[in-house]
Amino acid sequence: MKIGVFVCHCGSNIEGTVDTAAVARASMDFPEVAYAEDVMYSCSEPGQEAIIEAVRTKGLTGVVVASCTPRMHEPTFRRAVERAGLNRYMLEMANIREHVSWIGKDREANTNKAADLVRIAVEKLRRNRPLTPKSFDITRRVLVIGGGVAGIQAALDCADGGMEVVLVERTSSIGGKMSKLDKTFPTVDCSSCILGPKMVDVAQHPNITLYAYSEVEEISGYVGNFDVKVRKKASYVDWSKCTGCGACMEKCPSKKSLDRFNEGLGGAPAINIPFPQAIPKKAVIDPQFCRQFIKGKCGVCAKMCPTGAIDYKMADEIVEEKIGAIVAATGFDLFDHSKYGEYGGGRYPDVITSLQYERLLSASGPTGGHIKRPSDGKEPKNVVFIQCVGSRDKSVDRPYCSGFCCMYTAKQAILTKDHIPDSQSYVFYMDIRAPGKMYDEFTRRAMEEYGARYVRGRVSMIVPKNDKLLVRGADTLMGTQVEVEADLVVLAVGAEAATGSPQLAEKLRISYDKYGYFMESHPKLRPVETNTAGVYLAGCAQGPKDIPSSVGQGSAAAAKVLGLFSKQKLESDPQISQVNLARCVGCGKCVSTCPFGAIHMIDFRGQEKAEVIETVCQGCGICAVTCPQGAVQLEHFTDNQILAEVEALCRF
Amino acid sequence: MQSLEDIKAKIKDALPGLDCVIGWERGWSPLHGTPLFMRSPEDVDRLTWGPFNVGNPATYLTGFKGKKVGVVVKGCDSRSVVQLLQEKLVKREDVVVFGMPCEGVVDLTKVARKVGDIALVNAAVRAGGTLSVTTPEGMVEIPWEEVAADKCLSCQYPNALVSDHFAGEPLPPAMGRDPAAEQLAALEAMAPAELFAHWAKVMERCIRCYACRNACPMCVCRDHCIAQTRDPHWLTQEDSTREKLMFQMIHALHLAGRCTECGECQRSCPVDIPILALRRKLNAVVKDLFDYQAGVDPQAVPPLFTFQVEEAKINERGW
Amino acid sequence: MPVLAGKELRIVGFLCNWCSYGGADTAGVGRFTQPTDLRIIRVPCSGRIDPLFIVKALLGGADGVLVSGCHPRDCHYASGNFYARRRLEVLKGMLPILGIEPGRFEYTWVSASEGQRWQHVVTTFTNQIHALGPTPVKDVLGACQGLPSLKGGDRAVA
Repeated sequence: MKIGVFVCHCGSNIEGTVDTAAVARASMDFPEVAYAEDVMYSCSEPGQEAIIEAVRTKGLTGVVVASCTPRMHEPTFRRAVERAGLNRYMLEMANIREHVSWIGKDREANTNKAADLVRIAVEKLRRNRPLTPKSFDITRRVLVIGGGVAGIQAALDCADGGMEVVLVERTSSIGGKMSKLDKTFPTVDCSSCILGPKMVDVAQHPNITLYAYSEVEEISGYVGNFDVKVRKKASYVDWSKCTGCGACMEKCPSKKSLDRFNEGLGGAPAINIPFPQAIPKKAVIDPQFCRQFIKGKCGVCAKMCPTGAIDYKMADEIVEEKIGAIVAATGFDLFDHSKYGEYGGGRYPDVITSLQYERLLSASGPTGGHIKRPSDGKEPKNVVFIQCVGSRDKSVDRPYCSGFCCMYTAKQAILTKDHIPDSQSYVFYMDIRAPGKMYDEFTRRAMEEYGARYVRGRVSMIVPKNDKLLVRGADTLMGTQVEVEADLVVLAVGAEAATGSPQLAEKLRISYDKYGYFMESHPKLRPVETNTAGVYLAGCAQGPKDIPSSVGQGSAAAAKVLGLFSKQKLESDPQISQVNLARCVGCGKCVSTCPFGAIHMIDFRGQEKAEVIETVCQGCGICAVTCPQGAVQLEHFTDNQILAEVEALCRF
Repeated sequence: MQSLEDIKAKIKDALPGLDCVIGWERGWSPLHGTPLFMRSPEDVDRLTWGPFNVGNPATYLTGFKGKKVGVVVKGCDSRSVVQLLQEKLVKREDVVVFGMPCEGVVDLTKVARKVGDIALVNAAVRAGGTLSVTTPEGMVEIPWEEVAADKCLSCQYPNALVSDHFAGEPLPPAMGRDPAAEQLAALEAMAPAELFAHWAKVMERCIRCYACRNACPMCVCRDHCIAQTRDPHWLTQEDSTREKLMFQMIHALHLAGRCTECGECQRSCPVDIPILALRRKLNAVVKDLFDYQAGVDPQAVPPLFTFQVEEAKINERGW
Repeated sequence: MPVLAGKELRIVGFLCNWCSYGGADTAGVGRFTQPTDLRIIRVPCSGRIDPLFIVKALLGGADGVLVSGCHPRDCHYASGNFYARRRLEVLKGMLPILGIEPGRFEYTWVSASEGQRWQHVVTTFTNQIHALGPTPVKDVLGACQGLPSLKGGDRAVA
């Protein structure tokens, strides 16, 4: 083999702390290295051309690029060596940026380490062999998990693109958080008026199967061929019969059930359709509050239902779907503000969350769109908004900015003035973050046209005073203490990963960060892809974002799915396990440990042998370790390759 | 011995349906039992039972893959059979197990220490707690526990754990010392560098004959052992202590959760390397972590071929 | 390349591509300073790591071996790290009888997002190895010959 080594400067990113020329010189002494040079930017057009040129003129048969992480540019350089006429798997990378130049400034140690990493890449490459991908059929159906605006957008775009869509929503109606909002910033248009038609489109689209009040139970398989089990939770109402007339709700004697849609303000009947525009518009019984379940007798709804849809004995049902790609759009939940004792820790009825305030503002809310404070129903005159409640605060383990709170607080201050012209709003803020189109202008309007008083500072405490709340804080611009007697305090609670996100991530086999948000494949260049092929992200599941961004990501994820499905067949990664039939003793241990069922036993000239099903194998290599005689080897991660890497390091 | 006659009768009954039945006969000296592959009733008549049936006949089972065979086993041998069944290396319907209660076998090294050259022994008889050995110089009577194999002194499974035919009265577990455990404890008491030097020293005399591997009933790779191939190239043919020690670690770790501690590896070592301690330690670790003992339950799954999502005894070390 | 005398010890890392390798990348992107001793071998899954690779490294004279995979339940291949956990735990229990201090081998779980955790792991482990000092293996067995090189001697970088 004639190996070429290309040591990248990455501008000063690597060259700053690694002597790349010395690494290239040292590489010349490694076995089978025929050519080595340092290059300014190996990933740039001229950088790639230099590699191609060297392969052609020097007759190289393998290439090592020492640059950034292979997780970034391995595909880039594989394409480059392929353009040069080599098999794309005749490439190895040495990660001398993320693992060397960026983690220390000791130039001697870094240079030495970089050369070591090149050496192990060379030793591995010497044992590479050309590989050719296999192609396999795909199921052109997409699963969208989560029916908020991001999931709705992804589902509609995929469906409009001609794909079959399975949309799974945990609650009884799609719409997500957006359906609870009164108006949206910065246009102050009616949330349900812009979302409602999309929800109806979902219901009516011939390509969309909607499972509301359902959760994803189990996912197996791989890109193009996932097997998904969906748990349809027992609603105790036969939805094929329910017409959504609401007669049951009117007569239900348990009117004080938890009203989840209205964020716990007011009460709902135990059998409920959450809101008038619900899709599907079907009732669900909450057995925690239903008398039939608690006391064993009632049956009022069953008597009232004109279609006989009530079924108290209903059980969960599991349905199985064949799926080719998955969009995770599970949204967010709100920070639990009871962690802030200084704001009352949830004990003061007139300290409410911003989403509860949305419900008070909404005409479909519990107060019919009249702002009445929860304690006594009075119209508040002084309303205090406190921002960054559960955002940018390490003390509650929420160091990140939730992004949208500045904007919705401005919107709520404007709406407050609209609803109650003689009211005064106060906004306690840390910084105003309004970087979107028309966003900063919008917060300006809240201050300048609607007279909201913005106070830069944190609130130190809230104490009840008569029937008001004394809000005490600092005005850091004035350098003074501020006290406001508020009738109502609205906490701009931040976003958290939706409950159950880590568990879903585990089912999807994708990564999640310490807060439970799903990790994208690359924060800038692959923002809706995950590292698991065929699984995409949309909306707040990936991190807090506002409606335009969520919709944008929904469409982006759909575009990725449509791009995936535009191929007649998918190519499988050829870095998979292979059985050396001559060495296999047919013990079957590999079969029993393979998580994908990708190995089966075959009869080979009268002897039992293992065989890998090439398109099913995902290349984890568990089998290779299980096989004591080393008959199963994982291509490009063979025992010999890893042993050579180990030996390359242990020689000195 | 009535039970031996009973088992012979049973073997003769079963023989027509079997390729052969593996057992022992008298070897080249009265002290040496040697494997017997019985194919005719006359062969069966040569079957012996007693303290000289040292070897583990289960070692030969996988060589008969696809054929129906019988095997005569001591308690410890039966654990190997169980383990082979567990790993489906031998099919239950392909093997007929004949068992008898075992009172222990001799350790010929210990006998040699007592009587000198064992090749000159004319007769050897065990009666109760005494082994009587006749040499040209006369008869020596040795207390049994002084010449019994270490593993027999504290044997927990003197009767076959799996058998289709069993003759004789089952014996209770032995309650004696456990010298192997004492040796292990002594090694563990050494300082790490000293202990490593100890291994390097004892392994130096290894001649890479692979007798330890070939005697192991669980080493089923045989000709495909990774010690003797370049693909994968785990070991070079270099005569270095590093390669020898590496081979011992390969052997040991390939036995993790599978070793039934029959002791054949160490017994067969021509240069007396005390390698059993590695297996003893391994089994202790496996027992500790997974509460598991190899070769006891034919239905169990070896612990390294399965997992628990929440491991009861693995303490996730916080970093 | 030779270990930098007096500065570094030889530490070999086996990292799962999907999580810890990415975590090490994240640490790099965050410019989280780390000791330079560790050399990382990238594998597709902690389930690909044969405990014998670790033995090979330790007998080859590595002063320490670090394995890092995905947190339990978070394996890209569903169960690779569960198998790895059992295999590695057995190895860890086994090493003392060979005379290799158990502290020379550690395994841990680091996700792709945990750059700071990776920095912590590398720093702690490197300190631990430096506290143990150079492995006795090299003194006892001599320097490793390794694979024969097809070309002549190896030139130092400097």
